[in-house]
Amino acid sequence: MSMPTIDELASQLTAVSGAKAVDPDHPLQHIEDVDSLDLMEWLYGFQNDYPHIPADESLFADMDDTTTLRTVHERIQRLVPEQG
Amino acid sequence: MTADAVSGFGIAGWGTALPERVVSNAELAQRFGVDEDWIVSRCGIRERRAVEPGQTTASLAVEAGRDALAKAGLDGADIAHLMVATATPEQPSPATSAFVHHELGIAGSAHDLNAECAGFVYGVVSAMALMALDPRPVLLIGSDTHTLTVRPDDRDLGILVGDGAGALVLTPRPDHVVRGWNLGADGSCSSSLKVLAGGSRLPTTAETVREGLHYARINGNEIYLNAVRYTVETVRQTLESAKVEPADVDHVIPHQANIRIINSVLQHTGLPPERLVSNLDRYGNTASASVPLALAEALDAGRIREGQLVLLAGFGAGMTWGSVLLEWGGR
Repeated sequence: MSMPTIDELASQLTAVSGAKAVDPDHPLQHIEDVDSLDLMEWLYGFQNDYPHIPADESLFADMDDTTTLRTVHERIQRLVPEQG
Repeated sequence: MTADAVSGFGIAGWGTALPERVVSNAELAQRFGVDEDWIVSRCGIRERRAVEPGQTTASLAVEAGRDALAKAGLDGADIAHLMVATATPEQPSPATSAFVHHELGIAGSAHDLNAECAGFVYGVVSAMALMALDPRPVLLIGSDTHTLTVRPDDRDLGILVGDGAGALVLTPRPDHVVRGWNLGADGSCSSSLKVLAGGSRLPTTAETVREGLHYARINGNEIYLNAVRYTVETVRQTLESAKVEPADVDHVIPHQANIRIINSVLQHTGLPPERLVSNLDRYGNTASASVPLALAEALDAGRIREGQLVLLAGFGAGMTWGSVLLEWGGR
């Protein structure tokens, strides 16, 4: 089963938000032009692209000043079903 | 729920009502301590209308209904059924339609319909069903005054909502065809937008008022995600049932909630962006009124012509969603 790389996630979020760049290690709340609606739009696209990964808005439920795209990527990795 | 083509009705008249008071982004930017540009980029709204003392959900509905009846050349005595879609009723009881019924001198029956911002689309399908059972004129009105339900310091909702009403007179004529429709709901999402107090679960008390529980609360992220997901799905199902490609739709009239939701729906459904009918920038999110207001403005502007396909689509708290594809007939 496919799993997006951290760079792919950054590109997807860049495309959705129109931000100049999305640094995977920069706190999401402090990236210019990225807001909560951008994250939801990105999540909607993610759900369509990776239907086998049960990602939902709980990915961002406890988002704070320290949450980065890498944090989100790690959470997604834990959601990927193990291959039998 | 989805069904195939239904014929045998006409849209004989349409009407609108908007409060005169304009609430600009400059006013809200000052109130909430944000930039005007932030409001525009976040939701695509530049100004909205707000009721003033004396104006209510029913008074806007009466004004829009009267306008629609005049355009149809009918009066209240000709209407067999009145339906008012609203989520901000005149008072808890009786239904808002009772007040409108009286003011407009409606001869027939009346009831309210609350499917939140999808209410008018639900109403169109319900009106069709009524007319299949009883082929006489129906007056359908969408009216909401959400500015009265927003906590004064609630920035998230405060920048979005506006007040207004829109109305249609539907008559049993062979003019128009419903090529497809779809309605749906997911009650598990009922916490996305809610007013906690004032109902049987939490009756109004001095304490609920003190805590502000009579104001609307929104979970913006949940609403956004589900709004896109379910609107995309309902549009796909309606077009599929009608055997119509997205590129063949002539006018797209979605619930005017947020330009980013609308753009996302257009992108994911393949509906042509240039076919969008939108008044969001001028009126904001007028809830049950948004679809009929946009439809009425397009009709007044002569944009909708015989043989064209008009797609109405909405979603609302609950969650509810629905879409209707109309093939416009001659008049």
